[in-house]
Formats: sequence, structure tokens, C-alpha cells
Amino acid sequence: MSLELKNISRSFDNSVRETLKDISLTVEDGEFVCIVGPSGCGKSTLLNIVAGLDQPSSGELFINGKAITQAGSDRVMMFQEHALYPWLNVIDNVKFGMKLAGVSKEEQNRRAERYLKMVRLWEFRDYRIHEISGGMKQRTALARALCLNSPILLMDEPFSALDKQTTNKLRADLEQIWEETKKTILFVTHSVEEAVFLADRIVILSDNPGCIKDVYTVDLQRPRQIDSPEFLAARHKILSSVEREVEKLAKEEYDQ
Amino acid sequence: MQKKNTTSKNTPGKIISCICFYLLLILLWQVIYTVGTGTLGWWKSYAMPSPLGVLQSLRKLILNGTLFQAVIYSLRRVLIGFLISLLIGAILGLLISASAFLNRCLKPLLNGFQSLPSVCWVPFAILWFGLKESAVLFVVVIGSTFSVALAIENAIASIPPIYKRAAATMGAKPLQMYKDIIFPAALPGFLAGLRQSWSFAWRALMSGEVMSSYVGLGYSLMTGRDMADINQVTAVMLVIIVIGILIDRCVFSVLERRVLKSRGL
Repeated sequence: MSLELKNISRSFDNSVRETLKDISLTVEDGEFVCIVGPSGCGKSTLLNIVAGLDQPSSGELFINGKAITQAGSDRVMMFQEHALYPWLNVIDNVKFGMKLAGVSKEEQNRRAERYLKMVRLWEFRDYRIHEISGGMKQRTALARALCLNSPILLMDEPFSALDKQTTNKLRADLEQIWEETKKTILFVTHSVEEAVFLADRIVILSDNPGCIKDVYTVDLQRPRQIDSPEFLAARHKILSSVEREVEKLAKEEYDQ
Repeated sequence: MQKKNTTSKNTPGKIISCICFYLLLILLWQVIYTVGTGTLGWWKSYAMPSPLGVLQSLRKLILNGTLFQAVIYSLRRVLIGFLISLLIGAILGLLISASAFLNRCLKPLLNGFQSLPSVCWVPFAILWFGLKESAVLFVVVIGSTFSVALAIENAIASIPPIYKRAAATMGAKPLQMYKDIIFPAALPGFLAGLRQSWSFAWRALMSGEVMSSYVGLGYSLMTGRDMADINQVTAVMLVIIVIGILIDRCVFSVLERRVLKSRGL
């Protein structure tokens, strides 16, 4: 499914920060788009608007040409925190969204098994949430999101709270799952390396007001090697663009 | 996979030292009583209970069946009253959680009512219900309903917002949100609040029984006063305290701990 953002703006009454101005962006069906930018530029706000958890002050949002105003299971979101429910065990957390959607019991079991095996947590299905590690929690959350077979996946820095090794592993897993499932993914991150590793296109947001500064297409062969010269060159190019934004931001704050 | 250790267990040594502490306390009490009423003459002997006197009173109350009957009546009243206040309090609590307007308007009032000692409601109880069972129930219900409502409101307000946001992106409808997210997520906080509501109900029961009843622990307390039997008053007070602690420990504490443990808290 394609996703179209048309002149999305968002202002907040009592804050000058976290505002978005006139964001227009089209994400094609099956495309992997990363949004990067300095912290506080409104990337999470933008993703919340797409998810339907926040309303834009102005502008419109279309999925396959149809206007969208509410949250829905066609756009499942994964958060920075795992957002799993501590009163359920791993497999019941994974089945949670399917239960809401009224998926039949047999189908729930079938999909839960498929995706828990995909994220390699099948043996841990009966564990309580507090009994598994942070990386396993995020993998459970990923399985839960995948189970709904939603055509669009929204991810808000899902790996940023994890250690480096776990993050690298999960990125590779996600890329593989994306290739298998052909989902449209909108992925917010502050890590340029992560964006270059995952994205077909990278959208750079500038700060204050948050608007689209640049869009890069990443033309590297997958799976990408983070130490290859092409990867480093792409990373450098995007990093310098983001860094100028960070510097601008720092200067503004200093001048105040 | 960090399995958390359960918090400090009561070892036999700890229990024994605790019993010794109380035995010493009782001994001290007896000494103060003997010295204070005898040689020093601080108190008249009828104004100060003694451990032995209390024990005798207790024995008397047990043997003539008064205590058993009083405990049964009181427990039945508090149980019925508490169940009614759970029902009314739950409705009130859910209402002020669901509506920001009601929350703004009613929450200060509920807080005020909660801090009002339940003995204040006794005149109403007598005027509206007469010196009957229902008057006592009324005092219990009104004494704990507001606490239940506030416990529910507070438990719902402290649910991490991410739980609801995640459910919303998975397509949860309002009823599902309550059944699958809000109720289970609010449970631990609600149970903690319920302990307090229970103690409110128990205290309210005593106010109700002292004023308007013919049987029950509060009534036994009154007859002790009327007969100027300070030992009986103390004996009944001790029973009230012990039952209060037992129910808190054996019902609410157990429930709360079980829920918290299952969530790794």
C-alpha cells in the first residue's frame, strides 16, 4: 500500500519546538523509507500523525488514495519502548492484536508460531515479559506487529534502547523480514548508519520548524556491508547534511 | 532472563524474635499497670486495663458466645457493605476516569468526602434508616465508596500511556480498550488502593455499630463502656485490630503480591 502525506503541519500551543511545517511525502508500496533528523525535530510527531495517534494541525494523509484520520491496524506501529503487556506471556502478547481483530484461534496459533519462529523466540513463547531480555522484548514486539499482516509498518526508533550487537542483529533480521513480507515501512531513527543500512530512501528533517530538508535515494546492493567504501560514502554524505542541522540547532539555542 | 528473587522471607528466627518483642511489651504493660495502680496510684484500677484482666474478659466473651456472634455479624456487615461500595465506587471511578469534565468537577468533592470521618454520617443513617441493620450498612458503604472510586480513578490514571497507544495502532475499539488494556493494566494499582478502602470500610463499620446496633464488635465495645469494664473494651479493641490485620494480610496483601509477582514487579 502506498502512503501519501500532503502538506502536513503540526503546531503545539505551549511549545515552539516539535513543530512540523508543510511535510509532503509519498512512500510507494513496498518501499522502505527512513526519516532522520536532529532530536526534537518532530520525527516522532510525524510518525504519530501517520499512525493516527496524533492529529495534524493542517494537511492530509492518504493510504492508497483514501483519506485517513484515525489509528488503524493497517498501520501497526512499533515504539522505542517495547510496549508489551506484562500481564500476558510472550505468545499471548504476540496474539494480542489478532485477538482484537477477531482472527480465528487456529489462524492466531498459526501466525504466532510463524512469526515467533521468524524472530527466533518460539522456545520462549511461555515466558513472562519480565523474564526476557531487552532485545527479546523488541523481537516480541516485532512479531506482534508482523502478525497483523498490516501492509504498512511504522517504526519509531525501535532499536535505539538496545546494545550495539543486538541492534545490528535486529536490523539484519528486519531487512530480511521486509524482503520476505514486502511491507511498506516508515522508520524513524537518529542513527544515520541505521538509515543507510535499511532504507531505499532517506528523508532528512530539519529542525524548527521541522520540514523536509533533503531526500536521498540509497542505491546500494542488499544486504549492505556497513564497512564497504560505498556505504561509508553514503553515510558521510547524509551525516554531513544532518550535522549541519544539529549545528544550526545548537547555535540557535546558544544565541537565545 | 533475570528471574527476580522474591523479597525477604519470614524465617523462623524472625518470627520468634517478633513474638519475644510482643511478650516483652505485654510484660512491660503488666509492670506499668501494677506499679501505676498500686504503689504510685497514678490510675484507679478501673481506668486502666491489665493484660490479665483483658485475657479474662476475652475468655468470658468467648465462653458465653458473645465474641463469636459479634465477629460473625460484623464480618457479614462489612462484607456486604464493602461489596456494595465496590459496585458504586467502581461506577463512580469509571465515570470520573472516562470524562475529563466529571473528573475536574467531582474529584475534589470525592476527596473531601473520603477525608470526612464516617461517624459524621451516623445521624443521617439513623434518620433515614432507623436503628436497623441497613443504617450500619449505610455507614459502611458511604465510608468506603469514595475511597474505592478514587482508587479506580488513580489506578487508571497511572496506566502507562504507551499501553493504550500500542493497542490503538493495533486497531483496539473502545470496549476492547477497557477489557483488554485498561482493566488488566489498572489491576495492581487498584488492588493497592483497595487495601485502603477495606480499612476505611472496617473503621466505618465500627462507627456504625457503636451508634446503632444490637450486636457486633462495635456494640460489644459499647456494652463494655456502659458497664465501665475497661478490660472488655480493650479486649474488643484487640479483636478489632487483629481481624483488621488478618484480612489485610490474608486477603489483600496476598492478592496484591500474587498480581505483582506474575508481572515481575
